[in-house]
Amino acid sequence: MPREASLPTNGASIDIRSLEKQFGTVRAVDDVSLTVQAGEFVALLGPSGSGKSTVLMSIAGFERPTAGQIVIDGQDCTRLPPHKRNIGMVFQHYTLFPHLNVADNVAFPLKMRGVPKGERRRQAEAALETVRLAGYGDRMPKQLSGGQQQRVALARAIVYRPRVLLMDEPLSALDKNLREEMQIEIKRLHSELGLTVVFVTHDQGEALTMADRIAILKAGKLQQVSPARELYERPSNLFAASFIGEMNMLPVDWDGNRARLVEGEEIILPRNASIAPVKSGRAVLAVRPERLTYGRAGTDGTWAATVRDVVYAGAGTLIIANLADGTEVRLRVPSAGQHPVSPGDRIGLTCPPEALLLYPEAEA
Amino acid sequence: MSAPRFFEADGRRMSRATILLLMGPFFALVIFAFLYPLGNLLSISVLEPQPTLEHYQRVVENPVYGRVLMRTLQIALLVGLLSLALSLPVAVLMANSRGPKAILLTACILLPFWSSVLVRTAAWAILLQRNGIINQSLQFVGITDEPIRLLYTQGAVVIAMTHVLMPFMVLPIYGALRNIPGDYVRAASICGAGPLRSFWEVTLPLAMPGILGGFILVFLTALGYFITPALLGSPQEMMIATLISQQMRENLDWPFAAALVGVLTLIVTVITIAFSKVFRFERMLGARV
Repeated sequence: MPREASLPTNGASIDIRSLEKQFGTVRAVDDVSLTVQAGEFVALLGPSGSGKSTVLMSIAGFERPTAGQIVIDGQDCTRLPPHKRNIGMVFQHYTLFPHLNVADNVAFPLKMRGVPKGERRRQAEAALETVRLAGYGDRMPKQLSGGQQQRVALARAIVYRPRVLLMDEPLSALDKNLREEMQIEIKRLHSELGLTVVFVTHDQGEALTMADRIAILKAGKLQQVSPARELYERPSNLFAASFIGEMNMLPVDWDGNRARLVEGEEIILPRNASIAPVKSGRAVLAVRPERLTYGRAGTDGTWAATVRDVVYAGAGTLIIANLADGTEVRLRVPSAGQHPVSPGDRIGLTCPPEALLLYPEAEA
Repeated sequence: MSAPRFFEADGRRMSRATILLLMGPFFALVIFAFLYPLGNLLSISVLEPQPTLEHYQRVVENPVYGRVLMRTLQIALLVGLLSLALSLPVAVLMANSRGPKAILLTACILLPFWSSVLVRTAAWAILLQRNGIINQSLQFVGITDEPIRLLYTQGAVVIAMTHVLMPFMVLPIYGALRNIPGDYVRAASICGAGPLRSFWEVTLPLAMPGILGGFILVFLTALGYFITPALLGSPQEMMIATLISQQMRENLDWPFAAALVGVLTLIVTVITIAFSKVFRFERMLGARV
């Protein structure tokens, strides 16, 4: 559930219905349907070329969909030009108007809406205050740092109290510290103003920390839409599983009840290990590196493996091992309190049953 | 001792000797073919037959010459404004076109460069003559009963000069428009600006360096333009270049012609300096905003 659902919200709902966008022979967006609740923060996540930006541009009105509908707050906006949609947007490269000072930039949307000059100034200053840039109105955009420019862009996007705020990789041009600061800033604004946010990013960490729900796209198709925790713990397919975080992918033979590692042990899986039914035959067993632990080789219920590399990284240690058939397995274990191992050691791997996930073998 | 450093596009530094070697022929040409003759001419204006300012006095005192100057300024201004009005839509169209359409448009703009100014001026003479196609059309449609005088008028000069000089306006504006990132227009649009509003509030101000650059280029060129006014203009309504030519070739009054050149040079210099003071010049010449 969206965290803000219980708070009073000013946001609008967005209903994307069977959206499709064709560029020549390329289908950039392929039958994407997604409902964003009023006041919800949804991240569109995917590799480049996944169609996430095209979806956002369709919501903004910069792309005209080949098929499908964009409905904002019950109103069909599919054919409505961007300037009539009353949406706020922050772009990747700030896009502050270089010929206007900060105050005029922020007041620009108000000017377009015919707000009188004095009122414009007042509201622009209030918006600048919201992004903690009070008193910067007289400066030119060029005199500000990247982070400050992006905050001005944010002020310009919220000054007219739009009910939807779109963000197109707004933090990707900033360095790491600024990015984290801005993530907190944007989250704060989201809960203060209660607007609906659709946020495009290719940074999974950003998506996990900021969004109520994350929509994963690949090659124009929606893969999964879930809250962060569900996405991480129960990804709905192999792509989502490998795209978010690290995942061990172990080939197994599956007979409908048990999975057998190639040249290895038989593993009994809990019934909910497979998110969708998996046919008998070759399948993939997925497990997060931090859910695996190791003990002495040959213990009952463990999988035999040989340590290949040990990478010490302070709090945690990465162990890379090979199963009997040579499949690589990664373990992330706390450095302290572990029986130390070194390359060549034989170990037995264990994993809590609920951390095991079974997927059909990847299609070519 | 640190000499000023010069860099090539790829970041390599060039020695001062290389720079001099590369720039040398250009400076030599400017000195030999422009500064020397101009200086020579200007010295004639004050030194012949003996050191005197009487030629300049004549320019100032005789109202005929003042009128010629004012007329020249007016026509140049008109040509500048007219080609601005005609060039802006063309440049916008070019900047928004891609592929074959863009190539076709660019070719249409550049095509006149490949034909001589004389040919283009003569073409207007043919179009505007007494029995030309324009007069015939006007009579056919019934706007006039008999051929009207189009050729040898100020109107003919303005039209033909605008046509000849338009590429110098289109290209800088096109360049400036192409340099504006598309996201600015998108940002304006999402802020609530319709197409016209966003053009007026965002695109136009950002393209201003190109617009001013094109304008001053056309205006200054028009000030000293010779061929078109000479061929299409009315002898009673002379422009300064025609007057200078007349003084040199018909009256053989070189000192007075030189004084006129001096006045024209002064006007051009003052306007150029004024422009470059008000607007930063390097931006007009295509440097990025």
